Amino acid sequence: MKAYLKNAATAGIIFGIITTFLFLINFIGTAADLIGDITKSRPGSSILGLSAVMFNQLIFLGLIGIWAGARGSRKDSRLEDTWKHVLIGGALAGAVHGLIAGSLAFLVGSLNTAGVKINEYLSQILPEVIRIFLLNKTPLQGALFYLVFMTLMGMLGGLFGRGVLRSTWRKNIGARRKELWNSLTHHEKVLKIRANPLTRYVVYGLLLLFVFLMPLQIGQYWNYTVGTIGIYVLLGLGLNIVVGMAGLLDLGYVAFFAIGAYSVALLTAPTPHNLQWSFWLVLPIGIILASLTGILLGIPVLRMRGDYLAIVTLGFGEIIRILSKSVLLTPFSGGPKGVFNVGAPTLFGKPFNSDVNFVWLITLGCLLVIFVTNRLQNSRVGRAWEAMREDETVAQAMGINTLTHKLMAFAIGAAFAGLGGILFASRNQFTGPEDHSLMVSINVLSLVIVGGMGSIPGVIAGAFVLKGLPEILRQLENYRVLFFGVLLVVMMVIRPEGLIPGSRQKLELQHTDKSQAPPDTADASEGSSPS
Amino acid sequence: MSIVLETRKLTKQFGGLTAVNSVDLAVPEKSIFSVIGPNGAGKTTFYNCITGFYSPDAGEIIFDGKSLLGLTPDKITYRGIARTYQNIRLFSNMTAIENIMVGFHSQMHSNLAEAILHTPRLKREEKEALEEGRRLLQFVGLSGLGDHLARNLPYGAQRRLEVARALASNPKLLLLDEPTAGMNPHESSDMMHFIRQLRDELGITILMIEHDMRVVMGVSEQIAVLDYGSKIAEGTPLEIQGNPMVIEAYLGRGAASGLQNIAEKSV
Repeated sequence: MKAYLKNAATAGIIFGIITTFLFLINFIGTAADLIGDITKSRPGSSILGLSAVMFNQLIFLGLIGIWAGARGSRKDSRLEDTWKHVLIGGALAGAVHGLIAGSLAFLVGSLNTAGVKINEYLSQILPEVIRIFLLNKTPLQGALFYLVFMTLMGMLGGLFGRGVLRSTWRKNIGARRKELWNSLTHHEKVLKIRANPLTRYVVYGLLLLFVFLMPLQIGQYWNYTVGTIGIYVLLGLGLNIVVGMAGLLDLGYVAFFAIGAYSVALLTAPTPHNLQWSFWLVLPIGIILASLTGILLGIPVLRMRGDYLAIVTLGFGEIIRILSKSVLLTPFSGGPKGVFNVGAPTLFGKPFNSDVNFVWLITLGCLLVIFVTNRLQNSRVGRAWEAMREDETVAQAMGINTLTHKLMAFAIGAAFAGLGGILFASRNQFTGPEDHSLMVSINVLSLVIVGGMGSIPGVIAGAFVLKGLPEILRQLENYRVLFFGVLLVVMMVIRPEGLIPGSRQKLELQHTDKSQAPPDTADASEGSSPS
Repeated sequence: MSIVLETRKLTKQFGGLTAVNSVDLAVPEKSIFSVIGPNGAGKTTFYNCITGFYSPDAGEIIFDGKSLLGLTPDKITYRGIARTYQNIRLFSNMTAIENIMVGFHSQMHSNLAEAILHTPRLKREEKEALEEGRRLLQFVGLSGLGDHLARNLPYGAQRRLEVARALASNPKLLLLDEPTAGMNPHESSDMMHFIRQLRDELGITILMIEHDMRVVMGVSEQIAVLDYGSKIAEGTPLEIQGNPMVIEAYLGRGAASGLQNIAEKSV
């Protein structure tokens, strides 16, 4: 068999499996709804004799089919990328894809007609879903339809691949794009503007103005979402210090978030203690409590490295959640039901009762944390953390007291998480054990990894991608875990260093242009030794 | 000449294996002192005892008139001992100059609060460290490479950077662990010159583990030989070269006399 045919058949099988999988979790139906939302097609309307849902479903399946064709018709290194080969390859990939999809349609269709309730085994596959998948036809007709449909789509995909993806005008597009970008960013005038110190203030000022004005415009739902993202930025920046800078893999990070949330809840809520202290008084108390817990956790696990540390901290995170839930501590912590009516801050006698206020407050918290992280990163302590991450033994031999520096990292990270917890509980006016599940730790760790470990802009980008995207794609709610997994795998394969990886400061040549001799003379004097 | 480092009956055991066996050593101030021996003789274990990574089972380590026993590695660095490693152990994802600035850790004092508040003292200290770092880079011949990641530097440069990082902690005694490992003859000549320069210009005492006999004989003033954890000989390069025990340790029993025969025949 010719290599390109084999390649096409393989692509067909892979996409067949993908389509089957997407059908079994009923992602196809969700995607059809999503397309319906985008095209604003009314559910009842019919297009080309098909109902809108079916039509949208075919759009989605067609896109997968085109992709399969484009993949399957990829150029063999020994063959010319001719139109004929592309059509044959695309058709074969599509036919295999269609055969698998058709068999699936035939199988579920026949089972359904035979009265087997598939949704007892696969909860998503309701009879209605099968009816839509078969486009209201008999199983055999549906199967044949998919065979033909996917073959056509495969051929289309082949043409698309040859004509667009692999066409000559796209060659070197990366290099050309970079060139264009460089010519824009390194243009004389641009450099001049960038060198001007005023530019920075203007940019920061505009950003601040945007952050201040945005919450007034976007409505309650989006303010809530932006607030959540902000809280995850806080958590991410804290974990970034522990994991990204100091290299201590902490899987129980949610514990500190819980300590912050519970300290504000128990001290300001009317039940169970009725203390009702002021938010502004509780804020520092909560942060200090969280960082003390960080130190307390740190002491026993100090001598552990890597995987062992991860497991112990994982356990610690769960202990805090289970304790808060336990019947024994219910009179103290509110138990499984949680704590209601958590106090909100007041400013000049006015209570914070809108999400707009909280977005401002959370943004302020983020700015503070960014400021602190930035200062720490370029200090003796920050360098010591990074040295510990790189090689703990050598770091110690450089005079770094690894015990105290680890505790410092835990304490600072925990303080940020505590701040996040306080704002979270106060905004939601509620906190309970389910707010502090393991999933929070995993989310925060993922956003640090996806964003770029050790990088402040990376963490912010990661929070927006992992917490913001699911909100925008609300229909994907059920597939969030899938989405997470796919995103992490894809990121690790194509961009292991993260969305915005941390960059290192240029220290050596920082001031040389102004204050020191030009490089030429420095080179000439290199032979002579310093005093 | 006063003694800067002294070990008395230093012993370290791993289970039944005695890696370092009752070693007495006295390193004079501002000398270049080499420790040699076949593979597995206990040289690196000896280093690890001095720098506090292992705690010895018996014996004494006296540095600058005070015992080092029971001190953690970071405390020992503060006392004035720095080291390099057999297989280069730089902070590879940090730049060259950042590596050196980590080396300055023991010379700096700023703490967490000062870092956040950016006090004038901290600013001054950071600026000084940066300037010193640039000077050290120049001293080891790496000017202009300071902003490269350590792992992207060529091998020879990494070795030099490791020395620069060790020098940053302002040591009285520098422990080099096979400084010319993996170098070609030209590079190791440079390294020899560099080691002499360290002692002559900075007044640092050098204790060195080395396998390259050309380097050992060319640069050392005093040599100690370890074999199976015990010190079997000590003396000047000339004395060591003629010592039959040393030749036996390296080449096996009977080798010394065999070599002598060959030497006699060839004369």
